[in-house]
Amino acid sequence: MSDISPVNSNEHGAMIKTEKNSPLKPFIIPVLISMLFVVWKYVLSANGILKSPPWMEQWGEAMLILGLGLWFLFLLTPYITRFSKVNKWVKGGLPLLILAVFLVIPLIQIKTGTLNYWLYMLTICFMYIIWSSSWNIIGGYAGYISLGHTVFIAIGAYFAGMIFVFWRISPFITAPVAGIVAMVSGLLFGLIALRTRGSTFIISTIALVLLVAEILDNWKLTGGVNGLAMPMISLEGEIAKIPFYYYMLVIMVLCVLMTYFIQHSKFGLGLRAISQDEIKAEVAGIPTRQYKILAFGLSGMFIGMSGAIYGYSLTYLRPSIFLTVAIGTGIVLNTILGGKGTVSGPVIGAAIMLAVNEFVVSKLGATELNIVVTGLILMLVLLFFPEGIVGSLRNKGTLPTFLDWD
Amino acid sequence: MIQVFQIVILGLALGGVYALMSSGMTLIFGVMRIVNLAHSAFIVMAAYLAFWLFKAINLDPTLSMAITMPVMFLIGMAYYRILFASRADNPRFVDITVLITFATGLIIEGGLAFIFTGIYRTTTPEYAKTSYTFGPFFIPQSQLYALIISIVLIVGLWLFLRYTRIGNAIRATMQNRNAAQVVGVNVRWISTLSFGIGLAMAGAAGSLLSFVFTFYPAKHVAWIGMILCLVVLGGMGSLVGALVSSFLLATAASFVSFYLGATWAPITFYLALFLILLFRPQGLFGKKVEG
Repeated sequence: MSDISPVNSNEHGAMIKTEKNSPLKPFIIPVLISMLFVVWKYVLSANGILKSPPWMEQWGEAMLILGLGLWFLFLLTPYITRFSKVNKWVKGGLPLLILAVFLVIPLIQIKTGTLNYWLYMLTICFMYIIWSSSWNIIGGYAGYISLGHTVFIAIGAYFAGMIFVFWRISPFITAPVAGIVAMVSGLLFGLIALRTRGSTFIISTIALVLLVAEILDNWKLTGGVNGLAMPMISLEGEIAKIPFYYYMLVIMVLCVLMTYFIQHSKFGLGLRAISQDEIKAEVAGIPTRQYKILAFGLSGMFIGMSGAIYGYSLTYLRPSIFLTVAIGTGIVLNTILGGKGTVSGPVIGAAIMLAVNEFVVSKLGATELNIVVTGLILMLVLLFFPEGIVGSLRNKGTLPTFLDWD
Repeated sequence: MIQVFQIVILGLALGGVYALMSSGMTLIFGVMRIVNLAHSAFIVMAAYLAFWLFKAINLDPTLSMAITMPVMFLIGMAYYRILFASRADNPRFVDITVLITFATGLIIEGGLAFIFTGIYRTTTPEYAKTSYTFGPFFIPQSQLYALIISIVLIVGLWLFLRYTRIGNAIRATMQNRNAAQVVGVNVRWISTLSFGIGLAMAGAAGSLLSFVFTFYPAKHVAWIGMILCLVVLGGMGSLVGALVSSFLLATAASFVSFYLGATWAPITFYLALFLILLFRPQGLFGKKVEG
C-alpha cells in the first residue's frame, strides 16, 4: 500500500509533524475527559455494564459533540496553521469567515430557537457538498463517471444504523468506522469495476446501485422494504439538530481539505493524467490501476460517514431513500455544474443546486416537476456549460479569488 | 417436470417482449456508440401513449403500434438530430451522451408523472384476462400475442438490416464508421435513421408491454437495468445476442421468481449484468469494444 498512498508521503508527511506546536495542546485533557464520558454513556451504560448518573443522560450527547469536535479540530490544526503560514488569508479569507458564521449559527439557535429550518437546510447543504466533493475525486480528477455513489451513503447509513439498533452504540461514534467500511467496499468494487472504462464503467455503477437496492429490499435483517427504525436522539426539539449540524460541518471541512490535498499531490496529478489519456499516463509510469482504485475508495469514505449521520437524523432507513439512480445523478450534476476537477466547484454547485431545488419545491410544490428541472439543468449544463461555473470563469480569467481554492 | 416446463414456457413468453425492448437499444449502440439510458423512458412513454389511446378511443394496444411506432420514430430522429448529430466527433462523446440520455430519461419520467400521476397503469383489452391451456400447460393470451408480435418485428428488423440497401449501410456503419463514410455512406443520415428505428422498436415494445406489465413513470429505472443486462449479455450492438440473452435471462428470472419469490427476480438481472461486466465485458456475441 505504501507506494500507492502518496497523500501521506513526503511534503504532507512533514506537515503532519508540526502537530507538536498545536495551539490546541491545552485541549487534550478536556478532549480525553469528554471521550471518557462518551465511552461511559454509549458503550458501558448502554450495555448495562456501568450505570450512568442522570446528568449524563441529559448532557452525554452534548459532551460527545464537544469532545469529537475538539478532537477533529485538534487533528486539523496542522492544516489550519499551514493555511495561515503560507499567507493564504486573502485567498481563504471569505471561506474562513463563512466557516466562522457556520460555527456560530447553532449558538443563536440555542439562544433564540428561530433557526431550526436554517440548521436543517445547512446540514443538508453540507451533506450535498460532501457527496459532490467526494465524487469529484473519481469523477472530476480521474474522469470516471460514477452514477453509483449513493451506494456509499447506504453502506454508511445501514452500517451505523444496524449497530445502533442492535448494540445501542450511537452513530456519532460509529460514523468514522462507517466511513472506513464504505472506503473498503469502494476499494473492493473499484478492484472489480475499474477494469472497464467509459460507458461500460457507467453501466456497471448503475448495476451496482440497482443490485444493492434490490438486496437491501429483500434482506430480512435490514428490515427489507419496510425499513429500519432507529431510536431518536435524546435531545429537545430546539437543539436536536445541532449535533448533526456540527458533525456534518466537520466532515465537510475534512472532505474539502482532502480534495485540496489530493489536487496538490502527485496522486492528484496522476489522476488528472488518467483523465486526459490513460494509456499515455500508464506509459509515463503512473500506476494507473492503483491510483484509480484508491481514488474510488477515498471518494467513498466521507460519503459513508455522512450517510451514517444522515441516517441517524432520519431515524428511519429505507433503501429507496438513498438508492436511486436519480440521486446519484444529482451528485454528478452538482459537481459538473460547479466545475469538476476543482476544489471549490463541487461546493458551489451543491449549494446552488440545493437552493434551486428549494426554490422549485416552494414555488411549484410538485416533486414530479422537480425531477424535470433536475433533468433539464443537467442536460443544459452538459450541452452548453460542461466546464461548470468555476471552470468557465477560470478559462475566461475572471475567477474571483475567493472562489479560487486550488 | 411439468412444473419445470411450465416455468420455461412463461419465461420464454416474456423473453419475446424483453428482446423487443432491448433490440432498439442494441441497434442504437451498435451504430452510434450511444448508450441510450433514456430507452426505457421512451418505452414507458410509448406505453402511456398506448394507454391514453386505449382510454380515449378504445384502441386495441396491438393496433396502437401503428401510431406509437411512427410517433417514436419521428421523436427519435429529431432527438438525435438536435442533441447528438453535431457532437458525434467530440472525444468526450461517450461520457456526455450517457449523462444526457439519462437526463432525458429524468425529464420524461417527471413529465409523465406530472401528466398521468404516479398511479400504476395497465391497458385491459379482452385477451389480457384469459389464457390458453393445452394439456397440463397454460400460457396467458396476452403474453402469447406479445411474443408473436415481438418475434415478427425482430425478424423483420433483421431482414431489413440484411437485405435492403439502407440496412446494408446501417450494418456498414456499425462495423466501421470511418470506412463507411469513405465508401459513400451518409453516416449522419444513417445514424439519424437508426436512432429513429431504434425508438420505433421502443414504441412497439411500449404498446405491447402496456397489456403485459403494469407500469408507472419511475418504472423506467428498473427496466433500464434489465435492458442493459440483456444488451450487455448479448454483446452490445448484436441483435442476435439481444434475442438469445433475452430468452435466456427471462427463463432464468422466471425460475428464480418461482423458487425464491417474485421480488428476487430483478436481482437475477442485475447480478448477471455485474458478473458479465466482470468476466466477459464484450458479451456473448459482441466484439471487444473500446470504451
